[in-house]
Amino acid sequence: MKTASGITWKNLLTLILAVGGTTLLIAQAPANDEAVFPMPTGKTYLNECGSCHTAYAPGLLPARSWRKMMGELGNHFGEDASLEEPQQLEIMKALENLAADSAQASMRMRRINSAIPTNAAPQRITETGYFKYMHDEVRPSIWKRKKIGTLANCIACHSRANEGRYGEREIRIPQQ
Amino acid sequence: MIKRVLLLMLVVGMVAGTAQAESPQQILDGLVAQAGPASAARGEKLFRGKFSGGKNADSCTACHTNNAKAVGSHVKTNKVIDPLAPVAQKDRFTDPAKVEKWFKRNCNDVLGRACSAQEKADFTAYMISIK
Repeated sequence: MKTASGITWKNLLTLILAVGGTTLLIAQAPANDEAVFPMPTGKTYLNECGSCHTAYAPGLLPARSWRKMMGELGNHFGEDASLEEPQQLEIMKALENLAADSAQASMRMRRINSAIPTNAAPQRITETGYFKYMHDEVRPSIWKRKKIGTLANCIACHSRANEGRYGEREIRIPQQ
Repeated sequence: MIKRVLLLMLVVGMVAGTAQAESPQQILDGLVAQAGPASAARGEKLFRGKFSGGKNADSCTACHTNNAKAVGSHVKTNKVIDPLAPVAQKDRFTDPAKVEKWFKRNCNDVLGRACSAQEKADFTAYMISIK
């Protein structure tokens, strides 16, 4: 079949497939690129690791960092954060499964991991190259605002940080 | 068969659920059984006291504020902390394991030692007494 303008069914089909395929890709691309990290399932992680600070996404550090930290919970940044053995084991397993260097790590997690020397096991997320790079435009005066106060307070601006969501569109910087 | 399994799961779930969730009064009773009679006044003194034994905070109120019904904030991380008094935060003092965990950690952080059963009973009595 041929029309006056030279459109054939075959051409039309190719066009539809191309447009449809591209639309699908575009629709998925932001989701893949968004700063969303997988979080441990169940409530243990949130309850045990999220009561004193943001429940940091495991993908923000490599497994070796988490292993070191979990071995020193009696003196966790100077505080006693010791756990009972069942919780300790459950959390360690989840951290290893979702760490920045885990088998199923996203591109973003791999980038985080690749900026950390293999012989280092950083304990502060804020000291990793990726964190510094992502926050280099935040002025010191903003960090000092009462509702933020410290670099460790992710959830002050990333309101869904406890769900592993750090996307740019979900940032709300407190005005004081 | 499936029905039976579901029923069994329901029963086990209910038993497990009731085993965990207690009332603040039951938690207090458990502590009193170890310590002897509790005093809310002594508990308040502990809550408001200043100590030098711990490395991280000199008092309970450093994080929990002077008002146990108010929202607190962690001295180091600034994370918001729910009120401590059960009257303001319903799930406080309802899970014995959680209560023990936080006495262990926080007594160590503020006093530099474990709290005695008497101190825990007194503290809990004070928290329950807040209306």
